[in-house]
Amino acid sequence: MSTLLHPDRAALLRGYAEGSVTWRDLREHGFDDYIQVLGGLGELGLRPPIAPMSGPNVEARRRGRALIARLLRTPSDP
Amino acid sequence: MTAPFSLIVTDTSPLFTLVLADSLDVLLRPRLPVSIPDAVYFEVTRVRGAPGADGIVEWINAHLDTVRLVPTEIGIDQQRRLEEGRSIRGLGELAAIEALERFIRASPDANALLLFEDSDIERRRVVIDDRVALISTGDFLRELERAGLIQSADHILALASERGRNVERQRLTVSGEGARRGLREQLSGPGAMTRND
Repeated sequence: MSTLLHPDRAALLRGYAEGSVTWRDLREHGFDDYIQVLGGLGELGLRPPIAPMSGPNVEARRRGRALIARLLRTPSDP
Repeated sequence: MTAPFSLIVTDTSPLFTLVLADSLDVLLRPRLPVSIPDAVYFEVTRVRGAPGADGIVEWINAHLDTVRLVPTEIGIDQQRRLEEGRSIRGLGELAAIEALERFIRASPDANALLLFEDSDIERRRVVIDDRVALISTGDFLRELERAGLIQSADHILALASERGRNVERQRLTVSGEGARRGLREQLSGPGAMTRND
């Protein structure tokens, strides 16, 4: 356990990394900026979450991923 | 003629994650213009002394042909709130919505892609029309990984938190030194007690 992190903050960050706590929740609990979040995750040996394809915005996210995939496949102009 | 399209950054988190992993340039890979609302930019730059914040400013300046800051009414309100000592939490996202509305209104063909932080996009409903799509930092990195343009999304995220730890330790040391310096100045200033008092 990191000595630099308060146990409450460490618990919140663990929840964030596993997906039960949101970035908005972290802000409401005193995290001022995302560097603090990344720093805390680093102290705990964790990394930011990648959201599973679920929730209310799935269709719009699928469209976004498909769009990016298509753009990344498009060859650059000579 | 190609319809106007923009990638709009709604929050500081994708910027901080990517800058700490030396990967901000991945935002340019889809070759879309990148729009950063003023309130998001201000939230980045108010993180004083953070190497990540400096890196983002440098990156924006190096890509002014593709990356632009978007002035918003919310950004003006943000400045006013700061002067009055009120909270500015969440204004970056509101500014992004305002930037999106302006962009979409400007042309009937305009399309936009909103870049969000992962945990928020999974939980909160974002009301948008068919011309707007959403993507999270993680989704974006996964697509780059699938296209073979990065080694792995997980590697970039791990690098960001590893370097974030170093930045945060540095910030804590600097703020600790600042506090110690302030205390020393108080103790050695006029009227301070000496050992002989």
